[in-house]
Amino acid sequence: MKFLIPLILFFATVQLLAQTTISGTIKARNEGTLPGANVYLKGTYDGASSDANGKFSFNTQKSGNFMLIVEYIGYEPFTRDVVLNGTAINLNIELQETFNKLEAVTITAGTFEAGDKKRANILSSLDMITTAGANGDVFGALQTLPGTTTVGESGRLFVKGGDSDESKTFIDGALVHTPYNAAAPNTSTRGRFNPFMFKGTIFSTGGYSAEYGQALSSVLLLNTNDMPVEDQFDISLLTIGPEIAGTKLWKTGAVTATLGYFNLGPYMNLVPQNYKWSHAPEGFSSAVSIRQKTGKSGMLKIYSSYDASNFIIGQLDLEQNKVVDYNLDNNNFFVNTSWMTKAGENRTLTTSASFTNNVDKAAFDTTNFDKELKGFHLKQVVSQEMGSRITMRAGAEWMHSFTEQTFKSPANIFVNGFTNNTLAGFTEAEMYASKHFVARLGARVEHSDYLNRTNFSPRITAAYKLNETSQFSMAYGWFFQNPSDDYLVYTDKLNYERADHYILSYQSLLKGRTLRAEVYYKDYRNLAKQGNGEFYLPESYNNNGSGYAGGFDLFIRDKKSVKNGDYWISYSYLDTKRDYRDYPEMATPTFASKHNLAVVYKHWFGSIRSYAGVNYKYSSPRPYNNPNSTEFNGERTLAYQTLDISWSFLFRTNIIFYGAVNNVPGFKQEFGRRYSNVPDDSGIYRSTSIIPGSGRFFILGCFITFTKKGDKNQLEKIQ
Amino acid sequence: MKTTLFTIIFVLVSITGFSQSNEYYQAMGESLGGYANCKSGDDFRALGNQFERIAQAEADQWLPLYYHAHCNIIAAFIETDPAKKDAILDIAEKSMNRAIELAPNDADAHALHAMFYTARLVVNPMERGQKFGMLSGQAAGKALALDSTNPRARLINLQNEMGTAQFYGKDTSVYCDEARKLLSEWDNFKAKSPLHPNWGKDQAAGIVESCK
Repeated sequence: MKFLIPLILFFATVQLLAQTTISGTIKARNEGTLPGANVYLKGTYDGASSDANGKFSFNTQKSGNFMLIVEYIGYEPFTRDVVLNGTAINLNIELQETFNKLEAVTITAGTFEAGDKKRANILSSLDMITTAGANGDVFGALQTLPGTTTVGESGRLFVKGGDSDESKTFIDGALVHTPYNAAAPNTSTRGRFNPFMFKGTIFSTGGYSAEYGQALSSVLLLNTNDMPVEDQFDISLLTIGPEIAGTKLWKTGAVTATLGYFNLGPYMNLVPQNYKWSHAPEGFSSAVSIRQKTGKSGMLKIYSSYDASNFIIGQLDLEQNKVVDYNLDNNNFFVNTSWMTKAGENRTLTTSASFTNNVDKAAFDTTNFDKELKGFHLKQVVSQEMGSRITMRAGAEWMHSFTEQTFKSPANIFVNGFTNNTLAGFTEAEMYASKHFVARLGARVEHSDYLNRTNFSPRITAAYKLNETSQFSMAYGWFFQNPSDDYLVYTDKLNYERADHYILSYQSLLKGRTLRAEVYYKDYRNLAKQGNGEFYLPESYNNNGSGYAGGFDLFIRDKKSVKNGDYWISYSYLDTKRDYRDYPEMATPTFASKHNLAVVYKHWFGSIRSYAGVNYKYSSPRPYNNPNSTEFNGERTLAYQTLDISWSFLFRTNIIFYGAVNNVPGFKQEFGRRYSNVPDDSGIYRSTSIIPGSGRFFILGCFITFTKKGDKNQLEKIQ
Repeated sequence: MKTTLFTIIFVLVSITGFSQSNEYYQAMGESLGGYANCKSGDDFRALGNQFERIAQAEADQWLPLYYHAHCNIIAAFIETDPAKKDAILDIAEKSMNRAIELAPNDADAHALHAMFYTARLVVNPMERGQKFGMLSGQAAGKALALDSTNPRARLINLQNEMGTAQFYGKDTSVYCDEARKLLSEWDNFKAKSPLHPNWGKDQAAGIVESCK
């Protein structure tokens, strides 16, 4: 054993001789000292954490050349070669912040984003589907956001003084030609898609990317869910009908099939209706959705659906002064696919395609009006990251549509239709100058073979972050769209309609509280007009229309002040006039309200396992035209008001009961008046008021989910 | 608890040799002893830094990664600012994933993974409840499937179930028998080595205490 002692002494001496002290201070550039940074010698255990003053100190027995590393979350790692020879080392180290897009400024001008990403979104996916009054309709929920106007007799999206067909919907990048369900004239419609299909939503009310064309006012980008996590079977029983859905997983993919049937008949027998329905709305819907992982990082998504619906509603024929049945049959087939894959570390390829075949067959008295639309959209986008600060995107797309309208009366048959192919290309660069400033420059070119015209649209957006919580954004761009199909079936002698957007926006996000304020101006030009000639003559149409829309939007969200409660308030002021379609002069359009207010509140009552929501909306009177008056659009509708409530009760972990009432106080709702096309014998245009189907709307339901483990539920669906 | 730790450290320190492996045991032992002195989130993160240093020197060991993740998960639970919670969990996530790659069949790795998902959930239970609740449940299920006697797997599973019940406003006293059983059987489980996870008895005792 004795030989051990000199040996230990020898090593101890060597160690003593070689001991080196390394100390210093860690600072962040411009931001003072950093406590908690990890300082160590690479490949050894030797190191220390910086203390509350950013100071560190440690000893090491090692000698020779080593690399000193300093790491701190959110900062670039610091490395320095050091020589350990017993001489104390003192270092003052300055770390540089990592450039992280998630923490950097984001472009928010005109854009509302809802999703489940960790980044602080203004709305979550859940919010999109849990708003009282919307009853699970994506478009209904969006109408609680600023910049939108609720138009009760339509239900569609009307954004910042734009008409509803100026808004386009895309699913996983591909265009949705018919996003809304078929509805009777002057009744409110709903979206075709189940909101639970989507993991994220981007609603842009102006100034959007050059990737999107053929929309003058807004784009709604819906991104579908990725892989489901387990097999399950869902049953929904609602007062309007049942729905079943089943999901089956395999190793690299999954399939979900949905089958639904609705019939408003029983409900309409119980609750008095303002219209006489000879056949209550009835229909069935089916959908199959497939998810398949491809290769290491690819994902293929296919969604296809087939819906058929029918109703017969009694509508007052003002010419004959009697109630006549209006019969509508709708058939809609839709396929949407997208494939996203990585090509190398920094390049992403996305291919999206959609196909729609929509047939509406309407019959009113002795006339029939059939509308057929076949639409196809194919898009390829390449996204290339060039370092951490620049992303280049480029893409090409082909939009094909075939539209045919058939009008049959006992005496005549008129068939009008057209086929259009639009080819488009875009490119865009997103550049971060720093964590505080980002700019996105883009341009888009489109050519339509039917119009035989080409347009070029530049788009610019930029954002500047003032501090950790607040930022400014601006957007400017030109936006083009083909004139309405209703005109294009008669003429190809029209040019694109155009709108220029100017947007300035401020946003502040502070611990669960959000404030957004935005001012905008839109300059409309080349709007299609119908002149004095006969409607079926190509010469009757021109691009002499124009208009403007300006206003400001305010949005406040607060998840913090009320425990278990959460609310948001939206207010929009809108000033707009336009001369388009058959307008004789510049006038405020019928879909524009000067003031719009929405207040949404949600509360979780843990003790009774219930989630309650309440929602109040107000829109100031809108104009409408009375042909008996000399003033165009001189009449005003009643102000629109509604107060909606919803309640969900978790009965068992897999069973939920749900109830909702729209317009609880029964506010009188009237959307102006409809006039006869020709005056009666005394020279008066007869009229009738446009009112919703019923004063209030009730819905009750039950949702049951079966999984292997048995604890999943559809609470997310109806909260 | 403290005495066992000191014993471990003492044993580890006294068997100091000249090999890398012994140096590893010593460094790990010292760091594990550090748990006893941790109070604040900063303390846990500093201890996490120690484990991180060992992890970078010992690329094929999963335990330093495990403890690095564990320290940061605890620090995230202590932190009150939701944004900072997520940032700390981002640190834990990298080590967590790497630890599972290295020890895919260890119940403790998956039990910690369950705890990690629960930490993500509590940042915003309303919005994350469904997704992270399920992920946490799956990870805990996997841990129990690998070793149904692992007390930490059982503990986290129990905590998850009680948390869910609490969120839905249900009575949590039904879990008390299970908690008492877990505590009484806690010491039957023998860790594979002094460096393997051995924590959690205090928490189990805490649950039993709250049942009284």
